[in-house]
Amino acid sequence: MSIFELGIVDTRNIIRLLDDVYNYDFKNHALTFFKRRVENFIKMHNLRDAEGFIQKIEKDKMFFEIFLKDICVETTEMFRDPSLWRLLKDDLLPKNIANNQNFKIWIPEVTSGEELYSLLIILKKAQLIDKVQIIASSISDINLERIKSGLFDSKKIEVNDANYARIYNDNGLSDYYTIKEDGAYWDISLIENVKLIKQNIIFDDYPKGTKLIFFRNQMIYYNQILQERYMKIMYNSLVPGGHLLIGNNEKIDYWNSDKDFVLVSDTECIYKKKLS
Amino acid sequence: MYKAVVIGGSAGSFQVITRILNSLPKNFPLPILLSLHRLKHVRSGFVEALSIKSGIEVVEPFDKDTIKPGKAYLAPSNYHMYIELNKKIALSTEEPVNHSRPSIDLTFETAAQAYRDKIVGIILSGANRDGAYGLKKLKQLGGLAIVQDPNECQVKTMTEASLKMTQVDHIFTTQQIINFLQNLK
Repeated sequence: MSIFELGIVDTRNIIRLLDDVYNYDFKNHALTFFKRRVENFIKMHNLRDAEGFIQKIEKDKMFFEIFLKDICVETTEMFRDPSLWRLLKDDLLPKNIANNQNFKIWIPEVTSGEELYSLLIILKKAQLIDKVQIIASSISDINLERIKSGLFDSKKIEVNDANYARIYNDNGLSDYYTIKEDGAYWDISLIENVKLIKQNIIFDDYPKGTKLIFFRNQMIYYNQILQERYMKIMYNSLVPGGHLLIGNNEKIDYWNSDKDFVLVSDTECIYKKKLS
Repeated sequence: MYKAVVIGGSAGSFQVITRILNSLPKNFPLPILLSLHRLKHVRSGFVEALSIKSGIEVVEPFDKDTIKPGKAYLAPSNYHMYIELNKKIALSTEEPVNHSRPSIDLTFETAAQAYRDKIVGIILSGANRDGAYGLKKLKQLGGLAIVQDPNECQVKTMTEASLKMTQVDHIFTTQQIINFLQNLK
């Protein structure tokens, strides 16, 4: 909840500044979402108002990086929606990876890394981890560095463990992390072969020939222009028969979804690119 | 004169909500926005349970759905449900607020900004303080604030917190809430 409120004009000025100075275009993020995130940021860093924000950020590249991290919505738990992860573990991953030596998976905005580590743990346990090539990108360098270090918030341990137990019926998640003084750390040998890439909001270059894309609960923060742009990129990235995962209450019917995709699971929002 | 009803509830509110929905006529003229605390890892079953006898259709909206009259919109589990100024739903997985996602405060505050003095806000039984701030904002922006009579609530914490923060318009029993809603035109 924000006590401080940013006007629409100020919000637009900030969007213009970030584009002019840093070449990051937030114009097609959902406006109220963007405004709310900036308001929280201004509050958290005691910047007082839009003017304070602009003065600080236009001169301070490092501060801009912190902003990029904070604009990304952190995934608050591992294995969010356990029923989806169960389906991935029991069916989708083993079935599709089995006869592949180079199964390419892409997470276009990896944010705080919970989806990535959830996926890696499932692949590791199924002994499929050597058969995949994972590419994870983010607009935030700070997030990528943190993912590399394995650090996560130890406050999340309880919910992470509970979700894991809903999938595997045991308490084995602790095999994959260590608690240290400054927080909890994932076993970073898991991400040894993951390619982590810094991306701008607009993808100039993107992975081709992917067989599985995770893009859950990201498009809710975009307007339709950016949604369509991402859908086009992801459609082009996927091989025919490749799968796209989106969030449970997201729809892609602004895209020509019937022609291009089959809805494989209504409850888990899994789409499959048509063969031709 | 009102354009929307927003209802928040937590522990002890399920039966109240069910009774309210069951008593509404099929042609109820307003949308109802429901922000209820619920188990976050159980996605299915809740909307179905509420729908069984409901007079109006109950849905878990998709992001960017347009709000239509005569329908109840239930915040999906593990998402915040914001109301945009253009009367669309915006879902979010941003951090829980007061340990809650959906946060009743966030739904109430944004619904109040979208509907100003054309909204009725109702806080029901619940075990934490979520909703108290949202109801206060709603009242400040000209909406009508109603709280379920704490004497009738299974858990009083939420209604009492709301009453402490806001000079509400009505303290109603479930039956009085139903009568009030049935008379809305």
